Amino acid sequence: MESFADWLRARDDDALRALLSARPELVTPVPADLAALAARAATPAAISRALDRLDRFTLATLEAVLVLPGTDLATALAAPPERVAEAVATLTENALVWGDQGPRAAPGVRQAVPHPAGLGPPIAEAFAGYPPARLADLVADLTGEEQNGFPDAGRLLARLAELLADPGPLVEDAGPEARAALERLVWGPPSGRVSDARRPVRVDTAATPIERLLARGLLAAEDDRTVTLPREIALHLRGGRLFAEPCDAPPPLPAPGEPRPDRVASAAAGEAFTAVRLVEELLERWSLAPVPVLRSGGLAVRDLRAAATLLDVEDWRAALLAETALAAGLLTRSGDLDGEWVPTPAYDLWLLRDVAGRWVELARGWLRTDRVPGLAGERDDRDRLINALSEAVVRGGAADLRRSALAVLAGAPPGTSADADAVRARLAWLRPRWYAGRGGVFRDRMAGWTLREAAALGVTGFGEPSPFGRALLAGEDPEPLLEPLLPEPVDRILIQADLTAVAPGPLVAELARELALAADVESTGGATVYRFTPASVRRALDAGRTAAELTELLGRHATGPLPQPLTYLIEDVARRHGQLRVGSVASYVRTDAAATLDEILADRRAAGLRLFRLAPTVLASALPRTELLDALRDLGLAPVAEHPGGEVIVTRPDAHRAEPPPSAEIVRLRPGTADTAMIDAAVRALRAGDEAARYAAPAGEPPRSPAMATVERLRGAVERGRRVWIGYLDQQGQSSSRIVEPVRVDGGFLTGYDATRAAVHRFALHRITGVTELDEG
Amino acid sequence: MTDGPLIVQSDKTLLLEVGHPGADACRKDIAPFAELERAPEHVHTYRVTPLALWNARAAGHDAEQVVDALLKHSRYPVPHALLVDVADTMARYGRLRLEKHPEHGLVLMSSDRSVLEEVLRAKKVKGMIGARLGDDAVLVHPSERGALKQALLKLGWPAEDRAGYVDGEAHAIDLAEDGWELRPYQREAADAFWHGGSGVVVLPCGSGKTVVGAAAMARAQATTLILVTNTVSAHQWKQELIKRTSLTEDEIGEYTGAKKEIRPVTIATYQIMTTRRKGAYAHLELFDARDWGLVLYDEVHLLPAPIFRMTADLQARRRLGLTATLVREDDREGDVFSLIGPKRYDAPWKDMEAQGWIAPADCVEVRVTLTDAERLAYATAEPEERYRFCATTATKTRLVEALVKRHAGEQTLVIGQYIDQLDELGALLDAPVIKGETRVKERERLFAAFRSGELNVLVVSKVANFSIDLPEATVAVQVSGAYGSRQEEAQRLGRLLRPKASGQGARFYAVVSRDTLDQDYAAHRQRFLAEQGYAYRIVDADVVLSGGEL
Repeated sequence: MESFADWLRARDDDALRALLSARPELVTPVPADLAALAARAATPAAISRALDRLDRFTLATLEAVLVLPGTDLATALAAPPERVAEAVATLTENALVWGDQGPRAAPGVRQAVPHPAGLGPPIAEAFAGYPPARLADLVADLTGEEQNGFPDAGRLLARLAELLADPGPLVEDAGPEARAALERLVWGPPSGRVSDARRPVRVDTAATPIERLLARGLLAAEDDRTVTLPREIALHLRGGRLFAEPCDAPPPLPAPGEPRPDRVASAAAGEAFTAVRLVEELLERWSLAPVPVLRSGGLAVRDLRAAATLLDVEDWRAALLAETALAAGLLTRSGDLDGEWVPTPAYDLWLLRDVAGRWVELARGWLRTDRVPGLAGERDDRDRLINALSEAVVRGGAADLRRSALAVLAGAPPGTSADADAVRARLAWLRPRWYAGRGGVFRDRMAGWTLREAAALGVTGFGEPSPFGRALLAGEDPEPLLEPLLPEPVDRILIQADLTAVAPGPLVAELARELALAADVESTGGATVYRFTPASVRRALDAGRTAAELTELLGRHATGPLPQPLTYLIEDVARRHGQLRVGSVASYVRTDAAATLDEILADRRAAGLRLFRLAPTVLASALPRTELLDALRDLGLAPVAEHPGGEVIVTRPDAHRAEPPPSAEIVRLRPGTADTAMIDAAVRALRAGDEAARYAAPAGEPPRSPAMATVERLRGAVERGRRVWIGYLDQQGQSSSRIVEPVRVDGGFLTGYDATRAAVHRFALHRITGVTELDEG
Repeated sequence: MTDGPLIVQSDKTLLLEVGHPGADACRKDIAPFAELERAPEHVHTYRVTPLALWNARAAGHDAEQVVDALLKHSRYPVPHALLVDVADTMARYGRLRLEKHPEHGLVLMSSDRSVLEEVLRAKKVKGMIGARLGDDAVLVHPSERGALKQALLKLGWPAEDRAGYVDGEAHAIDLAEDGWELRPYQREAADAFWHGGSGVVVLPCGSGKTVVGAAAMARAQATTLILVTNTVSAHQWKQELIKRTSLTEDEIGEYTGAKKEIRPVTIATYQIMTTRRKGAYAHLELFDARDWGLVLYDEVHLLPAPIFRMTADLQARRRLGLTATLVREDDREGDVFSLIGPKRYDAPWKDMEAQGWIAPADCVEVRVTLTDAERLAYATAEPEERYRFCATTATKTRLVEALVKRHAGEQTLVIGQYIDQLDELGALLDAPVIKGETRVKERERLFAAFRSGELNVLVVSKVANFSIDLPEATVAVQVSGAYGSRQEEAQRLGRLLRPKASGQGARFYAVVSRDTLDQDYAAHRQRFLAEQGYAYRIVDADVVLSGGEL
């Protein structure tokens, strides 16, 4: 009979490619040949991952195949035949069912689905644990005639199955109460708990409904306290259907409203613009005043709150922005022991791009990160606070889940505004095993977070993916779609008599910088409102602007003449600006004899002392006191040192930058992204391995031979120029078999051409488990 | 992307570019749900607050309209979060309703059970409610109607008051439109109030709020209690009502420090109502003295806290608030909303001016430079004396004299904060001084003389800030003010805004000492006016003294 491996071997290359694309974990690493692939595909881990990817209906179809092989699946599933055919095709593609005469479950599937369709074991299995005497009693009660002779368990089981083939009359006979008890088990779970399940009961003496059922074989005792409804009985009671509810269609999303693409695009673009602006504002702040990295690696709650206050947003949004900046490679921790969160050099490049380009970088970072911003501020299993930017927010598969949730939105018709519950229901249908599996609560919350964050970043608007959001999800370039929706930079400002200036859009960079210097920002958004105050004007003057320059700059960009109160303000501040001057010097020289100072200043040798005259009797120098003393002594003078007065040291904050750690740049290859080139290569390798194995490798276990014999045989093979089949343990301890043309044996290694890998390899002799010489040709 | 006139900021302010062709249409659409905060020359700032949104809901607008208006006029994409927030906030109004139940009387009903559960669990609400009537309603003690509304507003679930009003004792009141008629906006304001039941009408100073009050009384046809800021104002209300309505002098009572008349229409001052004797309010019985059909509050933005408390007990009577601004220096806008009612009507100053209902005003700040000796004295003055010193310098006095001389023959008010300074100016200008200690009789005599043109110059202290009708004042000179009160500045300018017989514009001078606290405070006060579109021009004292063009 054809085996699963044979069936697999008979598939064409396209089918194999489809299989490996759908189940990429099968090719990491690439198996030696198709037999190995078949074996790997049947391992519990591989089956489990494959089942996790199936939607509810495909899973139901698989269960139907398990329970009712060879029957009409469409009737059993109460679903349209074409949907069933589709599901069977998917299962076949995934090599979960196989065979050319009707689908059969692939090896390993049955073990992975213990109660298919919520059904218990078949009669032969359910009663297998009964002692022959009890079986004989059962058959006797059902036939009404005592069993003679020595009871043969196998024969009795077969007879029982026969007798129970049409359980209808038996159920009637057991009475309505017993039927009600059965109903509870019909749709699964198929087991119930009773006391003393194994009590011997006969039809004549059965008192309770359960006893009546046990006596008729309609329930089987599984152990002392559990009774099970045998599969055949349940199927009968289900009336030919396998599932209570048809599940061929996913749960519906809310009915779409009137599609309003303009509103969606506009609202999303507004959020996108805001998000970019806020990230810039946050990183600007952190570049001037970096915040410390916690010892546990993360952002302190206080710093997160401060960021939220600065940006005037909720805490979760601040965490999202920081995490997004991190994911986009714009933010990192500086390398010091007591690290700080600072922008990366990439941030400077990011700043040079236009808003749409910046958004794309942020959105891509968010989409592919396995970090979960929503976890910031939550508590972990051990009730410890989870900090934003810490490793505690990383959840494997988060990016996958995020994409799945967004895919639900993207797949809905326009005008649909799906809430988190609808998305959860849809995800639970699309991948039921995975969604309800371990960490289900987290997945539930993740769906909510994803929607919230997608809206906050402008990937969606009014619960619907924006045009540029769709492009992002589809892996296309969103920039051309977003760009026309965003405000264009302007270079004109409206200046008003209440000392405010309004920039009716994002300003060109240079003007924005100058204006930020001379005025305080009062509100931000599509426009920016600035307010001139004496302090802000002073700030501009401090930065080296003059009143005339300021007036000229504002006059050039203002739409009308400058309002008089503003020119007065600038003049008022400028008039008093610089009336007092403050500086710091390293040392000074003072004397009562002004002539001496004239002398020093006139002396050429004093040119290097960087002296300047503060007052007729005072000189100041940038040299430290001791150096100045020595220098003056060299000039032939006799100065004495003085205790200094107070000194003011003015510092300017410097913008900090740090390189991100290399780990941030590693792109992990995730399942599902195995590219076609890789898959093609894998199929070729498998075929080659298969060829090699069929060509030479005898079926059965890899050869085993004692260590000394191994070396001897290898040497012999080298001399004779013969190919060998070796069993080999790789570095992970995985055993594999290889076909090798040995070249030489030395230094504890066998060097040879590995036919299964089509490359020359060195094999450690101590890892070779056995050698068999292969026959020529 | 549209090319609309509106820019939506992330702090929920709306910037309206006035010069844009679509600005007028946009203003009409956003005015119902956004409070005008600043109206300088190019860009007006509106703010969308929860109260403003609830005002809009009370006026029958829904979230969809608001969102549409924002999206329609906005130049740039509007952040989604903001739109959602607007919709959420608006949805909070009206989930709870106060209704009159035919059997149980006053009940709090809800269309949303969870909201009702939430507010019933709040500690503050506990004492105000009675038995539960089914899932969606609960009995409310009639005496707690106002307090409950206040508490619910604080909880963020403002209740819609649909419990209706008592009719009150009927009294015939008609408008006597002989030789004058109700202006269109006054009629609209009175109608808007009447349809809303209770609420606040916001109109600029000088636009005839008293007439709106009279029109409201004519709609109510019932006995009316009017609460005003002070005695002079009470007299003026009385005179205005006699002139504008069918009411005769006998029908109008004054309830002030001097007189205690209770008539079908009674005018009381805030002061008398808040007077306490032995710890208790002595005149509370006024509220029950008659079955009032309408309670009218003048200058709502000045309403003192005790009056709020008394008003909480008047929720079954119609209430009308009149004010020039909803901005309160004490942030009690929420109490105005819940106790008097939502805003029912407003119109911006500049529009009124453009239509000729109020006089245009020209504001000039005159900067005087202190002499060196004054500067030194200022620098060494005690901190608490510094403002007084720079506000009352001799240099200023000289300048005021020059200004008054320049406007000789025009009706001129000199306004100040410090009595010494005012007395000195009075003597110098040979003009009478009205201050706190001036008797009411004397004040009225002087005002009458000023109005008739017998007197050209009047020096007044802050007692003249409110509700004094000086129709023919064309020039005001402010020499000192209360630190930085934005309100005061608006009120003082308001003195000048009533339309003049001559059609002439008004001139408002503020005399300020350069480089002192005076200048800082002046800047703060003027900001409010600049925000209302009354931009100050600044001139140097030298220009005034040398007789240069102003």
